[in-house]
Amino acid sequence: MSKKVDLSVNYCGVQFLNPFMLSSSPVSNCAEMVARSFETGWAGVSYKTLVTDKIPIFHPSPRMHGYNYGDKRLVGLQNVEQTTDRGLKPNLRDITWLKKKYPKHIVMASIMGFCNQDWADLSKAVSDAGADLIELNFSCPHMTVEGSGAKVGQVHDLVQKFTETARSVTRVPLVAKMTPNISDINEPAMAAKRGGAKGLSAINTVAGLSEVGLDDFVPRPNVFGKGAISGYSGPAVKPVGLRCVAQMAQNKEHGLPISGMGGIETWVDALEYLLVGATTVQVTTGIIHYGYRIVEDMIEGLSDYMASKKITRVKDLVGKALPRLHETGDFDVKRQGIAKYDFDKCVGCGQCYIVCRDAGGSALEWDNGARRPIHDKDKCLSCMVCSFVCPVSGLINFKEMPKTWKRKETLTLG
Amino acid sequence: MDDGFSYDQALMEAERCLLCHEPPCSKGCPAKTDPGTFIRKFRMRNVTGAIRTIKENNILGGACGVLCPTCRLCEKECSATGIDKPIRIGKIQRFLIEHSWQVGFKTFDNPMSTDPGRQAEKIAIIGAGPAGLSCAAELAKSGYSVTIFEEREEAGGVLRYGVPSFRFSRSFLKNDLRDLEDLGVKIKCSSAIQKKGDVEKLLEQGFNAVFIGVGLWAPISLKKVPEDDSNIFSSVRFLETFRQEKFKELEKVCRGKIVAVIGGGSVAMDCARVALKLGAKDVNLIYRRSYSQMPAEPDEKIEALEEGIHFILLNQPTDYCRDSKGKLKGINLIRTRLAGADSKSGGSAAARGSGRRKPVEIPGSEWVMECDTAIEAIGNKAAADSGDWYPSVSVNSEMLVQADKETGQTNMEGIFAGGDIVRGPGTVVQAVADGKTAAKSIIGWLEKKRLKPAGYVSSRKEKKV
Ligand SMILES: Cc1cc2nc3c(=O)[nH]c(=O)nc-3n(C[C@H](O)[C@H](O)[C@H](O)COP(=O)(O)OP(=O)(O)OC[C@H]3O[C@@H](n4cnc5c(N)ncnc54)[C@H](O)[C@@H]3O)c2cc1C
Ligand SMILES: Cc1cc2nc3c(=O)[nH]c(=O)nc-3n(C[C@H](O)[C@H](O)[C@H](O)COP(=O)(O)O)c2cc1C
Ligand code: SF4
Repeated sequence: MSKKVDLSVNYCGVQFLNPFMLSSSPVSNCAEMVARSFETGWAGVSYKTLVTDKIPIFHPSPRMHGYNYGDKRLVGLQNVEQTTDRGLKPNLRDITWLKKKYPKHIVMASIMGFCNQDWADLSKAVSDAGADLIELNFSCPHMTVEGSGAKVGQVHDLVQKFTETARSVTRVPLVAKMTPNISDINEPAMAAKRGGAKGLSAINTVAGLSEVGLDDFVPRPNVFGKGAISGYSGPAVKPVGLRCVAQMAQNKEHGLPISGMGGIETWVDALEYLLVGATTVQVTTGIIHYGYRIVEDMIEGLSDYMASKKITRVKDLVGKALPRLHETGDFDVKRQGIAKYDFDKCVGCGQCYIVCRDAGGSALEWDNGARRPIHDKDKCLSCMVCSFVCPVSGLINFKEMPKTWKRKETLTLG
Repeated sequence: MDDGFSYDQALMEAERCLLCHEPPCSKGCPAKTDPGTFIRKFRMRNVTGAIRTIKENNILGGACGVLCPTCRLCEKECSATGIDKPIRIGKIQRFLIEHSWQVGFKTFDNPMSTDPGRQAEKIAIIGAGPAGLSCAAELAKSGYSVTIFEEREEAGGVLRYGVPSFRFSRSFLKNDLRDLEDLGVKIKCSSAIQKKGDVEKLLEQGFNAVFIGVGLWAPISLKKVPEDDSNIFSSVRFLETFRQEKFKELEKVCRGKIVAVIGGGSVAMDCARVALKLGAKDVNLIYRRSYSQMPAEPDEKIEALEEGIHFILLNQPTDYCRDSKGKLKGINLIRTRLAGADSKSGGSAAARGSGRRKPVEIPGSEWVMECDTAIEAIGNKAAADSGDWYPSVSVNSEMLVQADKETGQTNMEGIFAGGDIVRGPGTVVQAVADGKTAAKSIIGWLEKKRLKPAGYVSSRKEKKV
């Protein structure tokens, strides 16, 4: 058992036992699954996106494709899954059951309308079913139904209008789920705020194309001979997710609390989202990879971290990195450094030499006999590419140079 | 002692783990150290959690990471074997414990429970070996007052006075003992519980329960050898002298000498390797069966051979050979051949075989192997008078304490036992497991007694085992 730390947070006026939620996807498909996730430690769920029963939903088959890098599985996940393929009624019954069985756990109902009236009907229905929060899904990048998903999220007037519609029928706090597939994520965020949203969540999947079959020429997943640009998620999109959350958190104009997601697997990932401004975090691909059990490590890891830093409230971590997030123009470029080598640890592979010569400052020579690089400090660009490929952690580190130090000019031929 | 994994190595190895459902490795660990969980935690960057899992489940997690015969335990069950080779679980476990020292992470930084009822109950533990230490930790975690009585000057049992330092560095034991201190366990060293009825007396003196974990410290001898023969050692005396760092004493009989070690188990390997490290000219290890029947672990055997130890296989020592002054000059051997397997079951424990092929002496093949020093490593047994320390407790003909293996309960209410003194020669992890099990039974028993106190305490009844 980890050290006893209070991980509770308040998001949009709703109290969570901890910041960890399932995001809307197959991991939150029905009450039986969600209940098991609550038992494992998840504090809340964004329930798989509901639609009205007017248009039948069929998932393409197969609906996902795992993207591997070397022997690392699932660094990314490509999916063409649609909204829930279960009926509205059974889902509403499941939501009511969950709230009754787990009054302290939070159920956020994710909804998507295909017309203005749908947004009203769905908002009312999930409010009546007992949802604590409503997430408006303006952000699925691959809906097969016209006028839905990210197509809405990219048209700010519609974001405002549909939020207003939902607002007019319910007092349950509304959360607008944002797409990253847009140049300025704050525009739809502001539109949602104008429409009456109480919070934001991001990111939905990144429009992507992860792999192409070399024999069948079909982009993946191969749905009977056809591929499509569709939703990409998992560790590979974490940098995009962090960026979007930070940009929204930095925007003082709306000041809405954020639920962050995109590539979270560990407490470290989750903490990074908190530090750039998320109050709660959500997970799908991490669960697709490892199952609900990963929340145990998120809870224990975050608790131990907070205990070691003597931080008693999660709130105090939210946005803690933002004061240190600047425009690149603010950097002090007068301060310069180099890569510093600790050759005692060197195994002699020479990868640093290859990349420094071909992609860095060509600051390394190669001693063939000793199988060691020789570093010309004055040529070092501090690009640090050598340290990225070095197989020994901590062998190559960045070191600041005195202000008087001057880097050699790059050699000119001709 | 060899280096453990670096962070990079440990992570690389953990990355190979398949993070199985209902991890089979966890089922393979007698002490339920739960590698499936601690490796998953490590993978999920929950490093402190991984350390906590190990320490909470196994107070000697570091020692086990170094000493466990993992190829017969957790690693034997590893699913990754179906793809490549098993995950090196022991090495990861050892790394995590060493890492905890490096980063200063402590699992037990305050008393676990402050239940006054439990604090008032005192439990005595006899022997500070793996079984006793683990039992103590488990009880202290639950809030009981625990005192360990240890005969020797320092705690640790075989870990302190048996396993040589080149296989097991003192720092592991020191850190584990510090954890026990953090838990509030009192260890009284140089306090043997050895007089007639001493164990029962503890109960009369106000201890609510006793755990016996005294291990096996009496050598089994080839021939009656005088205790103080300066050239013939039991493995216990030889290794204990080494662990007490009385190197001069041992160098006298090893440096430049021919040393014979009798036996084919782990202890024999340890003795042989110590003798070689102390400068022996030749170390001949004599074993009556063949290489594959030697009970030592495969890697120990290879390491011993690589280091230069000679294996004299298929030879049975019959007696010592002395010069006119009575000084050892050789060992009388007779060659053997392997017959059919001896039977595993039936008969008394002593008569029962091991299921290995049986050595049969070849008539007329006697010879003398020259040596200056001999070390007998053919097994340890319970002290002949150990039955007297706890006369009310049933022991068998080998003086092993008769306790229920599932609960540690002996025939006497309030007296529990585990480790080698119950099972015969075993492993560290099995002793840890026994200590844990017994602690759970002790807690259950005390709890029950607290609920219905009357009549229970006054008449200490015998229980059927
Ligand atoms: C040389 C050697 C190498 C080994 N190597 C390995 C290995 O690599 N891996 C492995 O898993 N196992 C190994 N083992 C086996 C393992 O060490 C034992 O199975 C284990 O230590 C048993 O633990 P225990 O607590 O039952 O007994 P012990 O470790 O024997 O501890 C018993 C303790 O009780 C004390 N004691 C005895 N009598 C009294 C008394 N009357 N009053 C008070 N205290 C008393 C003793 O001094 C001792 O400290 C090895 C054993 C030996 C001898
Ligand atoms: C198979 C799959 C189905 C998804 N379905 C939905 C959905 O119905 N509604 C929604 O808002 N987001 C949906 N998402 C997006 C996730 O909720 C989440 O925003 C995204 O996957 C990024 O987080 P992750 O990297 O933790 O997966 C889906 C994602 C996946 C992989
Ligand atoms: S994960 Fe389960 S449901 Fe999905 S394809 Fe495999 S077996 Fe079928």
